[in-house]
Amino acid sequence: MAIPRGELFALLGPNGAGKTTTIRMLVGLLHPSRGAVRVCGHDLVKDPRAAHLHLGYVPDEPTLYDKLTGREFLWFIADMFGMPQRLATDRIDREIDHFELGEFADDLAESYSLGMKQRLVFAASFLHDPDVLVLDEPMVGLDPRSVRIVKDLLSARTREGMTVFMSTHTLAMAEEMADRVGIMVRGRLRFLGTIAELREQMALESTTLEQLYLEVTSGRGREP
Amino acid sequence: MSGRALPPEAVRLLSFEDESRLFVKLRATLAWETIRSMLSDARLRLSLVVLLSALFWAALYGLFVEGFGFLDALHAEVISLLFNAFFASLMVMLVFSTGILVYTGMYCSPEARLLLTLPVRAEAIHAHKFREGRWFSSWGFVLLGSPMLTAYGVVRHAAWPYYVVMLPLMISFVFIPASVGSIICTTLVAWMPRLRLHAFTIGVTVACVGAIGLGWSMFSQARVDSMSAAWFERTFARLSVTEQKLFPSWWLSMALIEAARTERDGTLMAASLFESLKFLALLIANALALQHLAGWVAGIAYRKGYSQLAGEIPSRRRRPLRWFDRALGHAGFATGRPLRLLLVKDFRLFRRDISQWSQFAIFFGLLGLYFLNLRAFNYHNAYASMIGYLNLAVVGLILSTFTTRFVYPMISLEGRRFWILGLLPVHRDQIVWSKFLFSFFGSLGPCCSLVLLSDCMLGIPWSLIAQHELCSVMLCMGLSGIAVGLGARMPDLRESSPSKISSGFGGTLSLVISSLFIMATVIAAAVPTHLFLLTHTLGPSVISSHGILAWAGGRWGAIAGGLVVVGLGMTATVVPLVLGLRAFRRLEA
Repeated sequence: MAIPRGELFALLGPNGAGKTTTIRMLVGLLHPSRGAVRVCGHDLVKDPRAAHLHLGYVPDEPTLYDKLTGREFLWFIADMFGMPQRLATDRIDREIDHFELGEFADDLAESYSLGMKQRLVFAASFLHDPDVLVLDEPMVGLDPRSVRIVKDLLSARTREGMTVFMSTHTLAMAEEMADRVGIMVRGRLRFLGTIAELREQMALESTTLEQLYLEVTSGRGREP
Repeated sequence: MSGRALPPEAVRLLSFEDESRLFVKLRATLAWETIRSMLSDARLRLSLVVLLSALFWAALYGLFVEGFGFLDALHAEVISLLFNAFFASLMVMLVFSTGILVYTGMYCSPEARLLLTLPVRAEAIHAHKFREGRWFSSWGFVLLGSPMLTAYGVVRHAAWPYYVVMLPLMISFVFIPASVGSIICTTLVAWMPRLRLHAFTIGVTVACVGAIGLGWSMFSQARVDSMSAAWFERTFARLSVTEQKLFPSWWLSMALIEAARTERDGTLMAASLFESLKFLALLIANALALQHLAGWVAGIAYRKGYSQLAGEIPSRRRRPLRWFDRALGHAGFATGRPLRLLLVKDFRLFRRDISQWSQFAIFFGLLGLYFLNLRAFNYHNAYASMIGYLNLAVVGLILSTFTTRFVYPMISLEGRRFWILGLLPVHRDQIVWSKFLFSFFGSLGPCCSLVLLSDCMLGIPWSLIAQHELCSVMLCMGLSGIAVGLGARMPDLRESSPSKISSGFGGTLSLVISSLFIMATVIAAAVPTHLFLLTHTLGPSVISSHGILAWAGGRWGAIAGGLVVVGLGMTATVVPLVLGLRAFRRLEA
């Protein structure tokens, strides 16, 4: 399976299908038992650091340091990516602006709500302008306005050449944004392609993605 | 996944030094922010903790001065023997505790998950988490060791260089077992992930069997000549296993003993100091080499081990002791069922958390071993009574470390599950009471049994055994009350690590108050008994000339002592629990 530059790929599947396991392999937390994961040509097991330079990751549960302010956290991430001071300052200001973090960027993260934490993690993942962005259930905890901001940003960045790999249960979002989707059931990829291809293969012309998804994952034997 | 082959603009991989510098900066920022928030929000609490800790340190110092003075007069070589045995056992404990802390920090914490997705070396992450593990596992050694070694220096009239090298010696020593613990941990997780529990159990068993064998070989033989020169010689020979010249504990002992040596006129002995510095250099060299090795092993094994562990599928084996849970859940009236179900949950969590029951089993097991061997010595009545009270205090002190480490954080950890508990038809008071009952009944059996064992081995009369048992019941109750009450009064709902919760202010305060409570209880019970024994051994005239002493040494004194013990126990239970219940009712999750 290969995801080309500038594509937004959505991985769908029921609970326990293996989406988060796949995501963890894509960011180097899990090593594949067979095969290899390459990010921009760098093997994630053999050369994880070089691969991580190209990667941005937004996990399903935001992890922050409670005793750091949002701005300090962004500085820590920028420093870890070896960004020069001036560039880091500009990028931190840019992302604070993008994700509307200004009001609370200098408060300790321990006082943040889940949505605020998620926005900060998004900002951190965009700091180094990654070539590949991996998102695990990205919209959990975000308010409608933040969802809109994220969607607009993802569209703009994919147009500029960023690759996005996203796992989600929000089928409407996948339908609206994804160039291709993958449907995973019990650890196996049941379908890989565009939604139009899925409709074609399932011979269900005018159905929604929700109906197609339920058909594929129902286990009633009808496979694309 | 595709993208540019070259890294994004202006992004680069850092050198190991730069990565380490960033982690040190991060640690400093976090520490400073923690101190700043404590200074602004909890000045009184901070002052109280500092003051009580200073008192605790001073009390320990006084105790060690007395102890070293006694041992110095008895046998000079005993100090060397004690240092070797103490540091060798400490070395083993530091290996285990650092191993456990490195395991939780590197493989189970959300921070590790974040760091592993950044372009950072595994070695740098290891160094960062190892620093944390080392600190958490060794602060107790520094707290206990500094008054002990200072007292030794004072008793030996050591010159100033002794005090200068003392801290570097302790710190460099700590690095060695800590690095070994880290190496064992990362190796086990990477190459034997499914066997890590078994390997840990085998390690603990080997350590315990070794200790039991050593203890048995020392105390199982003739008891008539105990504490005699011949007995000491035999004991020295058997304890020589801890005096191996290849053990870092021996280097530390020798360094301290050499550094404390002075000429007869009290001036510095240059040759001894030089010898001590040689041992310091040896310790530092080994500490650095082992730390380097631990980093190298982590570089190879960390990511692989993390992957192995994160990819592990939980086993669906049968859960033992289900009958106990069912019996506890269904016994009694329906009104008490929520409380009993909370208790069942806590017992289940305790059984399934190896870090809790293993430490409990190790410490109480070792204490049991020591008590089993008490009969090897011949005691006079007064000695037996004194040792009985000291044993009671030791049981209390060990229990207090457990209540602080495991019971105190329970409410804080429960707070994280407020969304579950808050929606259940359970009154908040019941949550607090369930923790108290869990701690009280859980500790009652082991503590009372140990005290009974100690007293039987010492041949103490039944009246005193009854008094000791009363004391241990009060200690279990009071220590549970303090830990649960303060845990509810000062919960830390944001922290997920119980070790961090217990090492915070509330935990430290709980430990200090617990220690004071134990001291007060044991003194209240021991003073009348001691006076009573004095009356019977030295004759009534010595005591009867002092009215209050005569009264305290009589029957009424014993009754008053018992009442004070009960009063202290009730106060230590009720006051913190009332404060905790009030605060917990008002708590907003």
